[in-house]
Amino acid sequence: MNRTITFAKAINEAIHQEMDRDEKVFIIGEDVAKMGGDFGITSGIWKKWPHRAFDTALSESAIIGLSCGAALCGLRPVAELMFADFIGVCYDQIVNNAAKLCYMFEGKASAQIVVRAVTGGGIRCAYHHSQCIEPWLMNIPGLVVVAPATPYEAKGLLVSAIRSNNPVIFLEHKGLYNKKGDVPEELYDLPLYESKVVRKGNDITLVAAMSMVDFALRAAEDLSKEGVSCEIINPLTLFPLDKETIINSVAKTGRLVIIQEGPKFMGYAAEIGSMVYEDIFEYLKAPMKRVTSLDTPMPFSPGLEDYVMPQYADVKKACSEVMSF
Amino acid sequence: MTITKEHLLKVYQDMVLIRRFEEVVEKYSKNGTIPGFIHLSIGQEAAQAGVIDTLKETDYKFPDHRGHGAIVLSSRPEDRKTIMAEIFGKKTGINGGRGGSMHINDLKVRNMGFNGIQGSTVVTSLGTAFASFYNHTDDVTVVFMGDGTLGEGTCHESMNMAATWKLPLIYVLINNQYAISTKYTESHPQEYLADWAKGYLVPSETIDGNDIEVVIESTQKAIERARKGEGPTLIEMMTYRWQGHFSGDPAAYRPQGELESWKEKCPIKQTKSKLMNIYGISELDLDLIQRKTEDEVEGYLQFSLASPWPSTDDATSWVYSDISVEGRK
Ligand SMILES: Cc1ncc(C[n+]2csc(CCOP(=O)(O)OP(=O)(O)O)c2C)c(N)n1
Ligand SMILES: [Mg+2]
Repeated sequence: MNRTITFAKAINEAIHQEMDRDEKVFIIGEDVAKMGGDFGITSGIWKKWPHRAFDTALSESAIIGLSCGAALCGLRPVAELMFADFIGVCYDQIVNNAAKLCYMFEGKASAQIVVRAVTGGGIRCAYHHSQCIEPWLMNIPGLVVVAPATPYEAKGLLVSAIRSNNPVIFLEHKGLYNKKGDVPEELYDLPLYESKVVRKGNDITLVAAMSMVDFALRAAEDLSKEGVSCEIINPLTLFPLDKETIINSVAKTGRLVIIQEGPKFMGYAAEIGSMVYEDIFEYLKAPMKRVTSLDTPMPFSPGLEDYVMPQYADVKKACSEVMSF
Repeated sequence: MTITKEHLLKVYQDMVLIRRFEEVVEKYSKNGTIPGFIHLSIGQEAAQAGVIDTLKETDYKFPDHRGHGAIVLSSRPEDRKTIMAEIFGKKTGINGGRGGSMHINDLKVRNMGFNGIQGSTVVTSLGTAFASFYNHTDDVTVVFMGDGTLGEGTCHESMNMAATWKLPLIYVLINNQYAISTKYTESHPQEYLADWAKGYLVPSETIDGNDIEVVIESTQKAIERARKGEGPTLIEMMTYRWQGHFSGDPAAYRPQGELESWKEKCPIKQTKSKLMNIYGISELDLDLIQRKTEDEVEGYLQFSLASPWPSTDDATSWVYSDISVEGRK
């Protein structure tokens, strides 16, 4: 049965239901057990399974290292890092351990862990609580980077992430936690490594992830009044990326705008753009455009943060430039 | 040790200033004027005021995320209003409104700022202590860290290196009982976190962090050792934060009555009664200090409220020391 619940609740429900189903799943992190997480995402789990929910000291390296070791013994840790920016502290465990275990053990064992982390800007928390860390992870073969935009996607993808035998970095954009949507009460899973066509259209392809999908939807509405039909694609699994869905869409529309929060240089928008140029250059009717954050650290003052983050006006401008090329 | 009446009166004023500063910040955070997360240090004034009181301007100071008090007291009086303006995100803020509550630095008084990644300054502080050693100066470094932060690997790396090289570094471990919701006894095996230094052969002690005389005495000893080249010291200061982890956190994880019992041990109240009962200072005089401080902080507030916002150019400046970064077209 479908009900309307928040993105936060959908994640909570996915963990509950997977823990119910598989006793190898446990949660670990700072304040995840008794308090139910800094953002309240793991509430109720410790009450139900006091021996499967673990509060730790501030020790990200130990949290991820322990998770990798436990995974090698067949357990399925769901670790929380709180703010994704803190991943720097355990970067070595993620990059040099988790990402490579499957390869090193020739598939006989792997880091079947989920690392939940809260990404993105918009809450006036400056340098170390606002970054988009996606690209920090997308140059590391062996990792899976998942980034849902709706409660429905969040629940289904987290279930698949927990069941996956790969290390999955599950990114939760802080701007989405209160977003509501229809979610089945029953357990279900959604496929990893598949982009989703969020809206069908013929004239221009907009690629967007997480909170940027809302910009794309808004632009599609506005453009439809001008008779322009937009196709919107959300990669969902940012890495390894489902190229085909994006390539097919751009081959059809001939136009591409990528909306990406986070610095422009070496962001995934760059990868998507070059992939399109490499594979289907001859189909393009206009050069592609990227709408991104500026290449700066994230400042605190509200006006400055807004200026650094992608703005809707920039999306509109990019779309009309591509359309009128 | 007993400190002089004048000295005690001075640090009393310092504590009253922290308290008032934090009360105003709390009010404007709760009513939504101050953006972002605010970590208040109400209840922990003695630890901050006592430590900063023993330092000279050229000593290196690393406040933590709950460090408004140490930051304000480290600064020159004429700059204090710009610290509040920073917390409001204004252009007149001491860091141009780019850092906010958690990222306030002031190089002229060697406030080296806080890094939002816990445990980071515990290794950066090795570097300033190293510079004193390298340059043959007698400036010491003080790094504030919390009971929870002690879990970070950087703390262990720092202490090992500082002890081996006998660097002039003082670890001020503010044990306010909690790291967000997690009690220190649930995330560390030691009854006294100070014991943790023993493995590195670093002298350490656990003291009453709400008794400012004890804080001053203990810090002075550590500083003396450091200046003489005898290496680091760790001081665990037992205290309590009256507010939740951040302003607005209901702190439901605290057992009933715990806050009230710590309020009884309020560092300002304790000092006040000492000043009155031992030194014979009248309540009237202490009230006057209170009112003068309130006026002072009201000045910071009005300055902050009246100040302009930064301009968008301020977002792109100083990403690099020499080249510029493009803004929006
Ligand atoms: C590396 C890292 N992990 C986690 C956090 C989130 N965090 C901020 S403050 C805090 C608790 C710190 O506790 P403690 O060191 O005792 O200081 P207190 O807040 O009690 O003053 C946590 C977990 C962080 N900022 N950085
Ligand atoms: Mg603490």
